[in-house]
Amino acid sequence: MDAKGDTRAATKPLALDPTDIARLGSMSVRARVIVEGAFAGLHQNPHAGSSIEFSEHKEYAPGDDIRRIDWKAVGRVDRYYIKRFEDETEMRTFLLVDSSASMGYARKGVTKLQYASYLAAALAYLLAQQGDPAGLMLFDEKTRQFLPPRTRGGHIRDLLVALEAAYPAGRTEPGRAVAEVGEIADRRSLIVLFSDLLDAPVDLADRLRQVRSRGNDVVLFHVLDPDEVELPYDEVTDFEGMEPEDARRLLVDPRDLAASFARESAALRERWRQTCLEARVEYRFATTSEPPAEVLRAFLFARQRARR
Amino acid sequence: MHFLAPMLLLGLIAAVLPWIIHRIGRRRARPVRFAAMELLMRAEREVSARRRLRDVALLLARTGLAAALPLAFARPFTEVRSDLPAVTTHSQSAVIVLDDSASMRRRLHRDDTPFDVARARARDIVEHLSPDSDIALVLASEGSAAPVAELSGDRARVSAALASVAVTARRADFAAALRRAAQVLTGSTRGDRLIYVISDLQATGWEDVTPAMLSAGPEIVVLDASGGAPWSNRAVVGLGAEPAPEEGAHGIAVVAEIANYAAEPVHGLGITLRLDGNEVARGFVDVPAGGRARKRFVHTLSGAAHQAEVVIDHDDFALDDRRACRVEASRGLRVLLVDGDPRTVRTEDEVFFLEAALRAGGSNFSVTSVLPDDLANRDLASYGAVFLANVARPNAAIAEALTRYVEKGGGLFISVGDRVDADAWNQTMKAVLPQPLGLKRSASALPGTRPEGETVDTRPAERLAPIDRRHPVMAAFPARGEGLASARFFQFLLLAPVPEAATRRIVLRYENGAPALVDAEVGRGRVLLLTTSVDREWTDLPIRPGFLPLMQEAARYLAAAPTGDATASVSVGGKREIALGTEDKRIEIVKPNGESRWLSPAAHAGEQRARHVVVFDETDEPGLYRVRGARADGTVDERPDAAFAVTLDGGESDPARLADDKRPDRAGARAAGPAPRRRLELWHTLGAVVIALVLAESLLTLRFRRGRTKT
Repeated sequence: MDAKGDTRAATKPLALDPTDIARLGSMSVRARVIVEGAFAGLHQNPHAGSSIEFSEHKEYAPGDDIRRIDWKAVGRVDRYYIKRFEDETEMRTFLLVDSSASMGYARKGVTKLQYASYLAAALAYLLAQQGDPAGLMLFDEKTRQFLPPRTRGGHIRDLLVALEAAYPAGRTEPGRAVAEVGEIADRRSLIVLFSDLLDAPVDLADRLRQVRSRGNDVVLFHVLDPDEVELPYDEVTDFEGMEPEDARRLLVDPRDLAASFARESAALRERWRQTCLEARVEYRFATTSEPPAEVLRAFLFARQRARR
Repeated sequence: MHFLAPMLLLGLIAAVLPWIIHRIGRRRARPVRFAAMELLMRAEREVSARRRLRDVALLLARTGLAAALPLAFARPFTEVRSDLPAVTTHSQSAVIVLDDSASMRRRLHRDDTPFDVARARARDIVEHLSPDSDIALVLASEGSAAPVAELSGDRARVSAALASVAVTARRADFAAALRRAAQVLTGSTRGDRLIYVISDLQATGWEDVTPAMLSAGPEIVVLDASGGAPWSNRAVVGLGAEPAPEEGAHGIAVVAEIANYAAEPVHGLGITLRLDGNEVARGFVDVPAGGRARKRFVHTLSGAAHQAEVVIDHDDFALDDRRACRVEASRGLRVLLVDGDPRTVRTEDEVFFLEAALRAGGSNFSVTSVLPDDLANRDLASYGAVFLANVARPNAAIAEALTRYVEKGGGLFISVGDRVDADAWNQTMKAVLPQPLGLKRSASALPGTRPEGETVDTRPAERLAPIDRRHPVMAAFPARGEGLASARFFQFLLLAPVPEAATRRIVLRYENGAPALVDAEVGRGRVLLLTTSVDREWTDLPIRPGFLPLMQEAARYLAAAPTGDATASVSVGGKREIALGTEDKRIEIVKPNGESRWLSPAAHAGEQRARHVVVFDETDEPGLYRVRGARADGTVDERPDAAFAVTLDGGESDPARLADDKRPDRAGARAAGPAPRRRLELWHTLGAVVIALVLAESLLTLRFRRGRTKT
């Protein structure tokens, strides 16, 4: 994860590895553990009102506008907090998780799809805690499942169940998914895309620009397996593609390609980082070996700092 | 191709092992479903070409290695037809006569020499002769020792001797070599006795081989080591020095003679003159086909003796492309005449004829005439020779000056006459007189009526006895002494008898046996004593044709005037006598290659002369040999006057081949039989291939690993 300049993230608070997270009972537990791990690093109580979108909570004091009291927080912690919003409009969040076959790769540890699901679940959990509506789209070359953003009770459970049940299949087509969400998203919606961006069509960059130009805030989580950063194999290997209709095979000694592969992988990440920079899309990179809580913490911290 | 151990060829099956291992390795490849196939394919495109090339090279190296090893162990060999004569297959006593003369040093193609070829063929013969054969080794160059002088069955000894033989710069002498070889074979009881002559078949060196010698001797087989290529040579065959009066008193002309042995003329052949190692002149010379040309370099010298060397553009035989000699400044050509009987009538003057003879055109002498009283004022050291003509009685000062002058290398000519006081001479000039002067004697014989003598003087006269041309002064005269034989001598001085000495020689005698001209070495100088006058008072010699050359040669001889090759050169292999200086205890000779030898005169030499002379015989290489004299106090001084040049025998430069009808081969049918076959072992080569393949495999593997980290 890109945590450059993030001194707080470097304090290494309690953050479980993805494999440890995977051993936890259900997605709701995983989401909660990740969120708590992330906020442990931020030295804040996630149940005390930290948020993705509103800038801060402040304990009520005489003279404050009582209309800004966060009643949900009062219900949870039995104390009065004033909710200071950046904008008075409610923000809707769309979590887009790439469920194509390539997201199912893992030599050890968790798959990219699992990892993306953990991050998405943690975000959904956090938003639900704040009473913000969060939606979910699982997609490959088509939309496999879509849950529109809601705040009603039980919605978060449906969302976490859907993430729990996600499986890798089909070809990847994130551009189409982003365009579809862009059609239904209101102005100032937050769109968070989780994908490995391998074999991603070039139209994804255009779609991201279009959605961003409509006033939506867009975050791209680029999730790769460590094997896709540094080729680790040390004997002759017969590689074959994972996605349907990908008939490519390569019989090769990976040691011959390791250095060249690492360069290509770095070039891929750099290309997407530049693309996002130009489109004013926030780019976050993570490998499936990193603790999801740290990735989440770095993301939240960066956004908090950007708001100030 | 044949094999000594063919069963080991089964190991060739191992050659397929690298391929099998390669195939198995690919079949056992683990299948992996991988998401980042696009990245993988891009990486593969980047490195595939280089990797495939390396894989193929590595596979080939390993396959070659696996195949070469069993091949080498199987000891492969092939049989090739030997170029040795068939007679080498017989059991025999053989003497190899190896030509190590100078012409064997020329360059053939690929930079080897005929001597290299000859030595290789000699080695072939040694290896090829049956094990029970005896072999001796004799060298063909003049004066060389035989490396294996008796028949020996020890091949290692003969091979070692062959390896240690070095080619010389000497002339070939096959007559002596064949005589020696025949002598070696006389001790053999075998039926087959052969002499193998391995040479470039240059005609030089075969002149003294006579049919009679061949018919009486053992069978001779000649092997040609000339490489077969025609040889066109150019050589500096002569180098001399002569005065160059047009350049002043110190002018000298160095004259080189260039020979062209090719059938085509040479135009613009570069030629360079070096003096004391410094290049002083360059020029070009055209030499006709099969002819000679002279190139004259004119130069002004300073000091006494110098080392001159002429170099022409190099050809395949570099040894004769340069020639050296010692030259001296023209000090020796300044001649001082001391007129002991001056007259107002020029023709009656004592030195009239002498001066005329020395001034004659082409002689280039610088002649100065003085009276005896003026002699004390002269710097004698600046003159090459001093002529005392009818000087009455030299005083003590003059006598001392003349003695010192001669002992330091000057030349003194003494002629007598009416005015000479013999007693005074014997007293004051004793140190330089070859023999004490005696009584004046008038001839008793009547003038002859020889056809060549058209005489007007009827006085009784003596004539000269037949001349001895071995003395340098007389070398220029015809054998019968024409020009001197007609001279009549009316009066002359007798000389007092003295014991025989090596330092004194009678050059000319009268018919009555009395000495006419006596030569003596005094110190480092020379004295010639003529027992008659040089005007017409006592003899008519001055008007005889021989007078002019006699006086000029005497002056040159006394002055040691520059003559290049003739006086200061010795042929390769020759001996050189070197006189010690007055203060020299030892002599150091520095060879052209920088090596030096110290020589001391024999401590117990019988003659006085031998105690002042050393003999140097290590004249192996042509070039300039410097001489240095060591004094008793340890100082060592250069002796440029004693330096000498060693020159190549001109015959070695002549590429003319020995005519077929003069070849001494008499092996005939035996030599012409089917050529023997010899085994050529290949496993050494295969061993080298194995080593090369191991290195190649290691190198490729190393690059392979480095490439993985760099790629």
